[in-house]
Amino acid sequence: MTDKSTEELVVDSVKAKFPEDVIDAKVQRKNRVSISVRGNKIYDIGLFLRDELGFDHIASVSGIDYIDAKEFEVIYYVWSMDKKVLVGLRTKIPRDNPTLKSLVDVWEGGLYHEREIWEMFGIKFEGHPNLSLLLLPEDWDGPPPLRKDFVLPETHQERLEEKIKKLSGG
Amino acid sequence: MILGLSFPQLIELILKVLIFPGLAFPLLFAMIVIWFERKFLARIMLRIGPLHVGPINRTGLFQPIADFLKLIQKEIIVPDNANKFLYNIAPIIAALVASLSVAFIPYALKPDGSYWVIYYTPLSLLVILAIFTARPFIMVAAGWASNSKYCTIGAIRAALQLLAYEVPIALSLASIVIMSGTFDLAKIVEAQSSIWFIIFQPIGFIVILIAMMAELSRRPFDIPFAEQEVVFGWPTEYTGAQFALIMVSEYFDLCAVTSLITVLFLGGWSGPAIPLLNDISPILSGIFWFLLKMAILTVIIIMGRGIYPRLRIDQLLDAGWSVLIPLAITQIIITLLTAQWWLPLVGGV
Amino acid sequence: MSVMKLSIGPQHPISAHFRFLLDVDGDVVLKLEPDIGYTHRGIEKLAEKRTYLQNLPVIERVNSYCDSAGTMLGYLEAIEEVMGLKVPERAKYLRVIAAELNRIASHLYAASLFSVATGLETMLMWTINDRELILDLLERLTGQRITYTYQTIGGVRFDMPDGFKEEALKRLDYLEKRTEDYYKMLLWNHTFQIRARKVGILKPSDAIKLGIVGPNLRASGVRADVRKDEPYEVYDKFDFSIPTGKNGDSYDRLEVRFKEVEQSIQILRQAIKDIPKGPIKKWTQPIVPQGEAYTRVEAARGEFGYYLVSDGTMKPYRLKITPPSFRNLIALPHLCRNVPLGDIPIIYISLDLIPMDVDR
Repeated sequence: MTDKSTEELVVDSVKAKFPEDVIDAKVQRKNRVSISVRGNKIYDIGLFLRDELGFDHIASVSGIDYIDAKEFEVIYYVWSMDKKVLVGLRTKIPRDNPTLKSLVDVWEGGLYHEREIWEMFGIKFEGHPNLSLLLLPEDWDGPPPLRKDFVLPETHQERLEEKIKKLSGG
Repeated sequence: MILGLSFPQLIELILKVLIFPGLAFPLLFAMIVIWFERKFLARIMLRIGPLHVGPINRTGLFQPIADFLKLIQKEIIVPDNANKFLYNIAPIIAALVASLSVAFIPYALKPDGSYWVIYYTPLSLLVILAIFTARPFIMVAAGWASNSKYCTIGAIRAALQLLAYEVPIALSLASIVIMSGTFDLAKIVEAQSSIWFIIFQPIGFIVILIAMMAELSRRPFDIPFAEQEVVFGWPTEYTGAQFALIMVSEYFDLCAVTSLITVLFLGGWSGPAIPLLNDISPILSGIFWFLLKMAILTVIIIMGRGIYPRLRIDQLLDAGWSVLIPLAITQIIITLLTAQWWLPLVGGV
Repeated sequence: MSVMKLSIGPQHPISAHFRFLLDVDGDVVLKLEPDIGYTHRGIEKLAEKRTYLQNLPVIERVNSYCDSAGTMLGYLEAIEEVMGLKVPERAKYLRVIAAELNRIASHLYAASLFSVATGLETMLMWTINDRELILDLLERLTGQRITYTYQTIGGVRFDMPDGFKEEALKRLDYLEKRTEDYYKMLLWNHTFQIRARKVGILKPSDAIKLGIVGPNLRASGVRADVRKDEPYEVYDKFDFSIPTGKNGDSYDRLEVRFKEVEQSIQILRQAIKDIPKGPIKKWTQPIVPQGEAYTRVEAARGEFGYYLVSDGTMKPYRLKITPPSFRNLIALPHLCRNVPLGDIPIIYISLDLIPMDVDR
């Protein structure tokens, strides 16, 4: 019986601490672990990952729109300096009223990542200090752009054309 | 007899006021120094500098003139909420004040014993010091009148810097006055007839060179002028002929400052007589040596721009107050203590 | 004086295409808030509507003028990981050569911006001048100076031309000598040290907590580099070290960049010597099966993260790009609290944030 690799040890400790909240935890390949959890427990699991297992360097927060399954998936990728493992902490939330507890207290570096997901997908992060438009223009009032059913709204297009007409002199 | 002067004296006055060291000389100095600075700095930066405009191929000698002509034909924009009177008059006064000092500096010794100076006064050093003290007011007036946040910040920093560095200048001038015993610039040059004051007062020379670089806002002290945080400092809003006047007044100041340091520390016009020039007129060789010393000082002051980055405002004020002032005071003390050695060597006292 | 709100806007000599909102009290900046999004092009959305091959020029424009070779590698690695495609050895070496040359050019560019921020225009000219040599080399290799689209799915597009090896080695020797000049003229310049030392000190614990990457992280003393942590391409075959700084101030961030240039020169010498013969491209139709991959590469500014979700069609289902400047952005408000106004350009430039990276 060979020694378990670091990735397998991580998977085992998470499964042991939160047996009923972890939907699926597996080793994807070398240096990659994927842990899928329920949305309401993501904060506690995040704290556990950071404090007990040493995953303190947040790499990326990404959102995906699974329009056919009517849900969003939010993935927090965190890296551990000494273990050299990247954990993808993922959770699926319903598409109708997407809210999630913000993990800014756990990983401070996720401040702008979460803000961008809010503006691009419409997922509300409760507890985030400043959910406002980051990359989009200040007068944006259309739907979140990265959703699969995004269509540039007629009103915005008309307003844009009006602005262009006014700027180029009527 | 017009104005109480005889005819030859009138011709001489017109020559002095219009050509040298009057109107034409600072302008020509500015043009040449601007060209030289651009070429010199370009070579330091591994570039070439101006190339095309000018009579000699690949030297770009007339580039400053071309730039000047381009600037004066541009539209003068006055911001809406600016204080129009101050805004419009500040560049003119800047150029006037800058070139005013040149009127009091003697440039040569005439064979009949009088001096080649536009207006002779026995208190010329004090007058020039007073003129230098007026410079921060112009910057603050221009910056405040422009009604822009960046200009205000730039003007305040300019005033802080210039006021801080006037004290070392005054102190090193004081040690020159102690050594020569007079405020008269012409007599100070005469006092250096045997040995130049730079040999007696090297510390004073370094202090005044550094302090004058700060007064002129030259790098590494150019926070008022070309600051990355506040776009361009107090002259940000100026365009066209006003901008040209402000830029050129900086070089008028350079002309006055290098003349002053030459007179005070480098012996003015003293130097061996050059036979060719002496045949034309006896004062020409004096003027030649004067210009040569000015040129050397100009090169030293310009070089700072290619070598040093900019200092932050508090580091700059720190250098002025806590380094230069003690050095200048040390120079005064050394001058006073060693009086018995240099007194016999100073001529004309 | 009351608190003044200063806006260093997108049209400003020092801010590139960012906007900063400062709260200034006299000479002290109390708070800085970045306002980004002026160069947002929606690359992630564009990528979903184009095939994998059509995406190559689009992804490259995430960071086109500084580091496009490093940017592309992550995307291609993600595709190749999901497809299970093996890239020929020679192509891997060529990719590394392009990426390392790009890293040198990008660091020289960062050094030039740093000199402009402090007011030393001489070093701006020198570094841009030397960067021209590298861009010339890259033009010989790829045909373009700045945006190459050189690496493609399954390899690279062109082979090394004749005479490239000798020319490259000559220029690398020259660059190595030049780096000494830079030390004497820029880094050991006394006034520059007064300006840059002890300015914007980033503690290593803060850096890890905020998610900082790249030379900024290494300048704080943390030895983290994707080329050593998770070697990709052929980086495990080369012998190089990871330079780190001691204090984490702006001076260290610039010094680490120059040391990395020296290390890149070592890698390039080994790569040029050891490159094997063989094919340069394994061309297959990029029909990517269902799957996902997260790849990390070390671009010049830090770690580029690419998260690819594919659903079996010719177009990606979701491509999430995490550029290093976006992750480093949070260091800026963190460091710019209660600092003199004159330090703001130094801190901002030393973090080496590229607006195109941040906005995508």
